[in-house]
Amino acid sequence: MRYKQYLLELGAAMLLYAGTLVASLWALRGEAFGHEGVRLALSLAPMVPSLAICWAIMRQLRRLDELQVRIQMEALGLAFAATALLTFSYGFLENVGFPRLSMFAVWPLMAGCWMVGLVVASARYRSCATR
Amino acid sequence: MRNEMKALRGQRGWSQQDLAERLAVSRQTVNAVENGRYDPSLPLAFAIARAFGLPIEAIFHDGDAAAAG
Repeated sequence: MRYKQYLLELGAAMLLYAGTLVASLWALRGEAFGHEGVRLALSLAPMVPSLAICWAIMRQLRRLDELQVRIQMEALGLAFAATALLTFSYGFLENVGFPRLSMFAVWPLMAGCWMVGLVVASARYRSCATR
Repeated sequence: MRNEMKALRGQRGWSQQDLAERLAVSRQTVNAVENGRYDPSLPLAFAIARAFGLPIEAIFHDGDAAAAG
């Protein structure tokens, strides 16, 4: 029930994000909004519904029980460390000619590491055989 | 930490999901505690004891105490 509520909240926030993103990109493509301040505001507009996504995730984290919190902490810890190692490594490689990557690459990388962390942490607490 | 949760749950005919709902935790948590993969916090251990109507020491066994004694 609580998970369904989370999916509903997250889904609504994601839809709002997608809609705002499409509208923002469409508006920036034309010449109608030439003022630099307006263009800055338009380019950052998708971040407003992103706050709703953060709010939905924080609410779900607060609903978790003690083991689930522990699993999330281990997964996020792994994602934090792995993202630091990978982004710094790549940053140093850029000094020797590797192509510069967009900042947009960082979060998907961290999300991927988080997913791997969730699988690893969940497996630690899953029973293989009853004792 | 060893425990008697699985046997006690079986005696009462409860599934892991039934017990999880009584304790307001996930089935994953009940499974992990039951199989000794995760030691519950004191509040959760008390909640488990209340659900079974037994004292905590009748459910959880501290292996270290036996070794020390």
